[in-house]
Amino acid sequence: MSERAVDWPVVEAKVVRSTYASPAWRSWRAFRRNRSAVTALCLLVLISVVSPTAVLWVATNSEAISADVLKGPTWSHPMGTDYLGREILVRVSHGVTTSLIVGGTVAVMAASIGVVVGVVAGYYGKWADLAAMRCADALLIIPTFLLVLSIASVFGGRLITVIFLLGATLWSQVARIVRAEVLTLREEAFVLSGRAIGAPDALLMFRGILPNALPPVIALIALLASAGILTEASLSFLGIGDPNVISLGQMLTNGLEYAATAWWVPTFPGAAIFVLVLLLNLLGDGLNAALNPRLWRR
Amino acid sequence: MYRYVAGRVVQGLLLVIVVITLSFLFIQLAPGDAVSYLYGTQSLSAETLARIRHEWGLDRPLWVQYSSYLGHLLSGNLGYSQVNGQPVAYMLGAMIPNTLLLMAPSIMIAAAIGILLGAIAARAMDSWKDYTIGTVSLVGYSTPPFWLGIIFIIIFASMLRWLPTQGMGTLGSQATGLVRGLDTVRHMVLPTAVLVWWYMAAFTRLTRVAMLEELSKPYLTTARMKGLSERRVFLHHALRNAAKPVLTILGLHLGTMFAGAVMTEVVFAWPGVGRLLFNAIIQHDYPVVLGIFIVVGSAVVVTNLIIDLLYVLVDPRIRYV
Repeated sequence: MSERAVDWPVVEAKVVRSTYASPAWRSWRAFRRNRSAVTALCLLVLISVVSPTAVLWVATNSEAISADVLKGPTWSHPMGTDYLGREILVRVSHGVTTSLIVGGTVAVMAASIGVVVGVVAGYYGKWADLAAMRCADALLIIPTFLLVLSIASVFGGRLITVIFLLGATLWSQVARIVRAEVLTLREEAFVLSGRAIGAPDALLMFRGILPNALPPVIALIALLASAGILTEASLSFLGIGDPNVISLGQMLTNGLEYAATAWWVPTFPGAAIFVLVLLLNLLGDGLNAALNPRLWRR
Repeated sequence: MYRYVAGRVVQGLLLVIVVITLSFLFIQLAPGDAVSYLYGTQSLSAETLARIRHEWGLDRPLWVQYSSYLGHLLSGNLGYSQVNGQPVAYMLGAMIPNTLLLMAPSIMIAAAIGILLGAIAARAMDSWKDYTIGTVSLVGYSTPPFWLGIIFIIIFASMLRWLPTQGMGTLGSQATGLVRGLDTVRHMVLPTAVLVWWYMAAFTRLTRVAMLEELSKPYLTTARMKGLSERRVFLHHALRNAAKPVLTILGLHLGTMFAGAVMTEVVFAWPGVGRLLFNAIIQHDYPVVLGIFIVVGSAVVVTNLIIDLLYVLVDPRIRYV
């Protein structure tokens, strides 16, 4: 019987730096790694700086007419000119500015309404929940576009009316998501203990629960903005937009009859809508992936 | 089962009545009626205008107008267009088949392709296939349909001169039978392509997300541990469970197709419900608008019910007693 000396494994102890990262930091890290979403964000920032600047400071007025009627794209007219000799590039930047304003305000409005409704419905439950969710259901059944189209046609499609209508109809999706989050959050220990020491409902709802329910909403904001831009463009394309505002949808309608003879007149305004919506959807998808812990890669 | 269906039908009817009532009230809020729209530009005296309103019953109290509308509705009378005097039911009857002809095949083709692409993308997550399908569907989802329609018109009609772009048939054509059918198909190609492009993208994105959700669930490990083939696990377990959200959205799209067609029908001058609605809204022809709302509302209610019954097929846990 041979006795073997036991080879005890050598254990080296090493002090490692803590690898803890806060959820916000990890989301940011995940987002940064997503090259297409970062590009989309940079381009959107660039567009929102450049197009209003162009509208405000460029010498050519959006409405300035000239003798160069229906000229195709050249270096001096990058997007060509329309039937009144107006510079399409200048008008497109004007239209993009309008679209950005519409998208931004609609998204903020819909998100705010949705968050408040969702938090209140989820926190109080019972009849508040019932009433809020039935309203959200109704908005899901009646197609938003049809609703906004008919209301805008009745009350006139002034830009502010359209923005208001879109904000007032697009909130249901936000409310649904926030409510679902709140339903689980309100049973968490920190909320229960807060209630136990007598914290008021408003404090628990908006300081305690709300910040925890927000991440999915942030991703939705980009998608709401793209939905807002697309719907406003559709309305003004149908002629139910604001006649006093230069909008991409309206330029598209006016260019429709030149589709056969001067392709650039309807093509560029539509391409601008497409690019804005595409960038916002890319950004939304990127944010969604970054804010969803299940999709984080370690 | 029958009790459940009966309950749902009653619920649906109530919903439709609510839609009718709200639209009816809402339309009363509108500034200006058909009389001022039709005769506003002619210099008619206030008395004449009042007489026309009286003849059309527009000066009666609101609830009288409402109950008479409901009464006529029960006998299938949706009122008369205030612009050309035709019965609304007749106008709708002429337009509904056209919209169905355009939308139903488009949505079904798009759903078939979209579900297939979405499943392929989810199966090959993070591969080049996934990225390609993801990019195509993102671009498709972001394309404004009316702009795509115009681009198609520019390319295929103005430049290549391959296909017609307006209406359902060649104007003045006396053709019948097969020739006429072929002519209609030629007119359908471009609008159908636009619709398929957008709906396909929507279905692809939806299916991919639903499949990824299912593929991450533990029951699939169980299925694999039982020794089932990967193919069976994917098709019979994951895809079948992912079918539920897809079915829901399919129902939503089919239900709202009369509204989803507005832009495409306007661009391609397709004589369907969407274009009828657009014209009615522009002309303040409220009986027609109301009639279309009723049709859209009923379509949504009916398709929702059918989809709920179809859930039984995909999910054996659901039983309607």
